[in-house]
Amino acid sequence: MNVILRTADQLRKAELTIEPEYTSSDVIEQAIANWALPTDTDYTLVNITKQTTIAPNAALSTSRIEDGDILEIQPVLVAGYDGTNKG
Amino acid sequence: MDNSRYLRNNLIDWFSQETIHNKHYAIIGCGAVGNEVIKNLVLLGVGKLDIFDFDKIEIHNLTKSIFFRESDIGKYKADVLASRAIEVDPNVQIFPFIGDFYDKMTLDMLKDYDAVISCVDNFESRIRINQICALYSKDLINTGIDSRFVIVDIYPFSTNENIACYECNLPASVYHQISKRYSCGWLKNISSKEKIVPTTPLTASLAGALASSYVLRIDDLNLQSSRRTFIDSMTGSTSNIDLQKRNDCKICSIRSKNKIFVKAPSTIGYNIFRLSRAVRKNISFKSSEPILTEIHCLDCDTNGKNPKIVFKKARDYDSSISTCPDCGGHKVKISIKDSFSLGELVTKFYGYNIPCKYIMCELSNELVIIEMEENNERNT
Repeated sequence: MNVILRTADQLRKAELTIEPEYTSSDVIEQAIANWALPTDTDYTLVNITKQTTIAPNAALSTSRIEDGDILEIQPVLVAGYDGTNKG
Repeated sequence: MDNSRYLRNNLIDWFSQETIHNKHYAIIGCGAVGNEVIKNLVLLGVGKLDIFDFDKIEIHNLTKSIFFRESDIGKYKADVLASRAIEVDPNVQIFPFIGDFYDKMTLDMLKDYDAVISCVDNFESRIRINQICALYSKDLINTGIDSRFVIVDIYPFSTNENIACYECNLPASVYHQISKRYSCGWLKNISSKEKIVPTTPLTASLAGALASSYVLRIDDLNLQSSRRTFIDSMTGSTSNIDLQKRNDCKICSIRSKNKIFVKAPSTIGYNIFRLSRAVRKNISFKSSEPILTEIHCLDCDTNGKNPKIVFKKARDYDSSISTCPDCGGHKVKISIKDSFSLGELVTKFYGYNIPCKYIMCELSNELVIIEMEENNERNT
């Protein structure tokens, strides 16, 4: 199926064909590699069209994705304190 | 109470001062977002706040935290925040707790809260906050920021059984990052450097405003699923996303069971022995966090028969314990566990305190969650 994949800042965007057996982790991994996204950040895949998250390890075929949907790679934000992430 | 300060609030059609005055919230983390949330709730005239933080104020906190001043450097954040917040509105009852919320917040305290707001800066704390809120069906607002983006999650656990929890949408990479920070089980890896995530007062302010708004209106929102609001602070673009429940989520599988909550002395003694006689089977307990049970230097103890029993929280130790303090050798065997049989507790750890928030076991299709009460410690 064909979807539009973009980053949360919308600076990177691509139309791509995804295999149904792919998981969101596969899509994120390829986006990190192809778009040189920061590797020290964690990401989730969100279906902007359907307004839902896509489970990290579920096959995309089970995630109600349809042709033309916009998928967005969003960072999982960890700070909130003062940014030092002291643990 | 002098109500004149709130007169203008009463003009707001969606706002009830009396309702807000009767609310009691817990705010975990008194950093940038915690400052903003507390500022908002105090200005609105909330009744009671319990605030949790173990940390002291450093100079770099002053660029993001509205309540902190240079003269506060070195003081506990929660103490300073509480005293400044009372200056803003003396009608608010605000109680600072210095230390790790997981140790300080009893389950009785949790029951009394209308909601918990997470303003922490790390995944481990968020996972623990999610765990206790999900188990005790307590509404949770989770916040997260960086220098550009903001997330505010709502988990309406009190009104919905079958909704996603925080862990349902955590990617595997988060657990991988956590495991890299721990060398063995939950021992902190002393060579691991924490990542510094830059943040701004702008993203903190957005997160604080939205979290405060959601926590006040959580009942009115009538959500049927957990929801994440994701904001790009530079463009103003916002997405509201339903958080999908993951079928294999461990926390959600526990949540769906019939639960019985009890309290018990933490010392493993006659009470546990009596339980083992009563149930007549060797049930197993899962502890709320990993416990360092034994340290065993194979150089010092060549027979291999005398491990030193520790029985303390693994998170209180770091990887330096893999060096023997007596001989300096590195052949140290460390045992860290979060699952124990009843027999093992009675025979091996009799007289020790169970050093965690709770233990749980399954009895007759019900999940029994036993909160540990403070007790005399043998394991000191």
